[in-house]
Amino acid sequence: MNTQHWFKPYFDRLSSMSLAIALLTVLAMASAIGTVLKQNQELTDYLTQFGPLWYNVFISLGLFDMYHTPWFFGLLTFLMVSLCICLWRNVPTFLKEMRSRKVVITDKSLKGFHHLKHWKIKGIQADEASARVGKTLSEWEQKTGEEDGRIYIRGDKGRYHKWGYILVHGAILIILVGGWVGAQFGFRGTMTVVENSTDNTIRFLKGTRSDQLKMPFDVRCDNFFIDFYPTGMPKEFRSTLSILENGKVMVDHKDIIVNEPLFYKGVRIYQASFGDGGSEVSLRLYDPTSGKSRVIKTEVYKTWKDPDTGISLEITNFRPFNIENMAEAGEAKKFKDLGPAVEYIVRGPNLKAVKIKSFMNSFELDGQNRGQMIMVSMTGDDRDFQPFPLGLDVSKPTDWKLYTSFIEALNRRGGATDRDANFAAFKEAMTSVYGENRPEDFQQMGMRVLQAMSSLPNLPWPYIPVLEDYKQVYYTGLELTQDPGMNTVWVGSALLVIGLCIMFYVPHRKLWVVFKPVDQGVEITLGAMTNRNKLGFESEFNALLTRLDDSLAPQTNNRSAA
Amino acid sequence: MTAITASRFTLSGINRGLPGFARFWAYLGAIIGVSAYAMFGPDGYGEDGIFYFLTASAFSWIGIGAVAGLASGTALGMAKPSVTESKWSVNLVPFLDGALLMLLLTTVETFFEPSAANFNYLDQSNLLSGSIIMTMNVTLLASALLYITHLFAPASIVGRLATASAWVGIYAGGSALLLRWYESYMLDPAIGHAPVSNLYEVFILLFCITTIVYLTLERRYGARAMGAFVMPLVSAGVFFGIWLSAHGHAEIKPLVPALQSYWMKIHVPMNFIGYGSFAVACGAGMAYLVRERLEMRGAKASLLAVFPSLDQLDQLAYKAVAIGFPAFTLATILGAAWAAEAWGGYWSWDPKETWALIVWLVYGAYLHVRVSHGWKGHALAWWTVAGFLVTVFCFIGVNMYLSGLHSYGRL
Repeated sequence: MNTQHWFKPYFDRLSSMSLAIALLTVLAMASAIGTVLKQNQELTDYLTQFGPLWYNVFISLGLFDMYHTPWFFGLLTFLMVSLCICLWRNVPTFLKEMRSRKVVITDKSLKGFHHLKHWKIKGIQADEASARVGKTLSEWEQKTGEEDGRIYIRGDKGRYHKWGYILVHGAILIILVGGWVGAQFGFRGTMTVVENSTDNTIRFLKGTRSDQLKMPFDVRCDNFFIDFYPTGMPKEFRSTLSILENGKVMVDHKDIIVNEPLFYKGVRIYQASFGDGGSEVSLRLYDPTSGKSRVIKTEVYKTWKDPDTGISLEITNFRPFNIENMAEAGEAKKFKDLGPAVEYIVRGPNLKAVKIKSFMNSFELDGQNRGQMIMVSMTGDDRDFQPFPLGLDVSKPTDWKLYTSFIEALNRRGGATDRDANFAAFKEAMTSVYGENRPEDFQQMGMRVLQAMSSLPNLPWPYIPVLEDYKQVYYTGLELTQDPGMNTVWVGSALLVIGLCIMFYVPHRKLWVVFKPVDQGVEITLGAMTNRNKLGFESEFNALLTRLDDSLAPQTNNRSAA
Repeated sequence: MTAITASRFTLSGINRGLPGFARFWAYLGAIIGVSAYAMFGPDGYGEDGIFYFLTASAFSWIGIGAVAGLASGTALGMAKPSVTESKWSVNLVPFLDGALLMLLLTTVETFFEPSAANFNYLDQSNLLSGSIIMTMNVTLLASALLYITHLFAPASIVGRLATASAWVGIYAGGSALLLRWYESYMLDPAIGHAPVSNLYEVFILLFCITTIVYLTLERRYGARAMGAFVMPLVSAGVFFGIWLSAHGHAEIKPLVPALQSYWMKIHVPMNFIGYGSFAVACGAGMAYLVRERLEMRGAKASLLAVFPSLDQLDQLAYKAVAIGFPAFTLATILGAAWAAEAWGGYWSWDPKETWALIVWLVYGAYLHVRVSHGWKGHALAWWTVAGFLVTVFCFIGVNMYLSGLHSYGRL
């Protein structure tokens, strides 16, 4: 006894309800921090966001990867310890309470009952009355006893209510253990596999640093397929994967989609993301003054350098579909696929680096050819892309011819820029290109040339790279996870729900009927209590009372009265 | 015996005894039939628009289930009459009847749908469900006003009108959602999906569930004064819904790959049973606080008489939490199960998940102080109100202010 003495107060404190509630509150508040403060971002982003002082405070508290810090883990451990002690202390009591069903009850304890009724009946003996009542209470679990000439009936419903508590608290413990096992012995990381190649290493964040782990097998991406809705929203991402071990194919051409992962030797492989896996692209470089062109070949994620001009093109992305809403503001939506496009960053001596998205096809609107278009982002951010129409359909030599003849004709007029001079120059250019047989769409051509007049001379680059051809390769972004604790968590979850249902929907109801013989009859006391649904029990108690009263009514008299 | 009591007698009679019990089993059979069709049927869950495609095989699966259920229910009930008084069947049969009625109502509504030439994916303004949702908005707002009026005119017919319009609101909202499901298939079978995929749709679901939970408590415990607190909460949501539809969030949009799962149909509605019940608990808590205030100020007895007693309101709030907490727990677990199938882990500390945990902890603490510490009344009434604010943040705030994996309902 004495040896227990020193830790007894701590033991009590740890299992106390106040501590449990405090823990729940602290846990709730701590969890909230991690949702407000974005987790696992680049450290430099945090530094610019909070400044050096707060950055250092936050990082020493581990707030940038809060849910994996020792103190958060300590909080959860504390909760587990508290739960264990709580169960350790209460379970034996609960079990004893559920087993013991005292029949004899004192008048004093009956007085404390919420629902209590006394009444007297004449012309019936206590034993007969108790027999009839016992029959009426058939749906209650009964126990009868006798003491001092009184007969006691005890009825129980939902006697196993306390199992609800035990299950719920035990289940939370099991879930926490399962979670711990998963965090300790499992892994979760990403792997990017380019089409028709293999990889076996996953990458993941450990704290705010990245780390990697080698899988005991290779994953080969045989194919990646993406399907779109008419609105341009992705409808399905599908990877065809094969799994190889030491060069031997273990799983052959299995498809995975977002909600249907692949399971192999305890590892789940999920479809998580996708992107360009280094597509081959050919670009045609047009000289904006003459339309002369040449073709270069490169790949996405590679940089092409021009030794003559010092200009470099860093190819950042390629997309085969570019579905955009072409409607004006306020108009009903109008989705249109602008076709394949390549994105690159242009750098060069005395040039501001900008990001460009260049389409393969000439831009068409309402059936009219509006010429080539590029999108320019001065900041390099994809959200800042602004359309920049080049005017000419650069693939048509006649467009270039018309454009250059027009400029020559204008130059011959030596600076005259009025409408008539422009019109005359254009006519001259048309004649020099087509002679007298003007094509039907010459008006559209005129529009394009005029647009080109205002855009092409302003370009800072010596040539315009336009997408000419491509051979697309995707990479598929996979997530590989192994969680040995997951099934434990599911067991805990099932027990949690069962326990909650017992706790809330199977109330423990107790009733006592006491028969006390008095002269010429019997005095009956009905007392009942419930630990749940006190509102509903009121009417149930009254109904019970009526039933008992009916069953005890002198039957012969009743019949004769009828 | 007057005619009214006679009809009441028969109406309550059909939910009890053999008729109720057999019907309960028939519904169970039909539900098992649908689930079995979904899992093992020839088309399976590739197409969940069974009521749009009207395939004979789908109906035979449901029909066989219903008939088998009815037969076994009848046999069981006749063999052992005492089982027919089971609480489960008596309590659940009215809800299942209501669901069937809603389905029939939706079927009728489909006949009034404009022809395919009048709408398309890009212009959905002519779809019938929009008008029915507007009907729901109007009736729910009216019911809130009527419930408040009822506080001051308890003897008049106003209270019954309030209840009636709340019922109309539920049937309008519920059938409009089902109709929307059907319409999504009309637009394009590739787009078709259950109407629980964006904020607008789940808002309507939330109104219906909150109102159903409230009306169930009102019916059982005669707590009509609580409506004056619950329905204004619903009305606030209705205004938000109207705002959403005015800003183009009401359109039927195709599902992103992450949402293309049968889990969506299970996880989302289950969550809203939780949210809706917490809203009702908050209404009961507010009613408690108001009554307490009125008592302190010595308000007129006639006004106080409309309210349930403080003790009853306390119990009602607890009752709503008792419905919501297990449902919310189950919903979170189902969400974890879905995450394990789609995101690579059952728990990712995503803002929505974390806030769901916070909501769970808040109500878990509520239950602890109530059951083990024996707290009652005032403090717990405030707790339900505060808990609901946390719930609202979890539901809408997270979408508005925090990003994460649950960004389908982003504003």
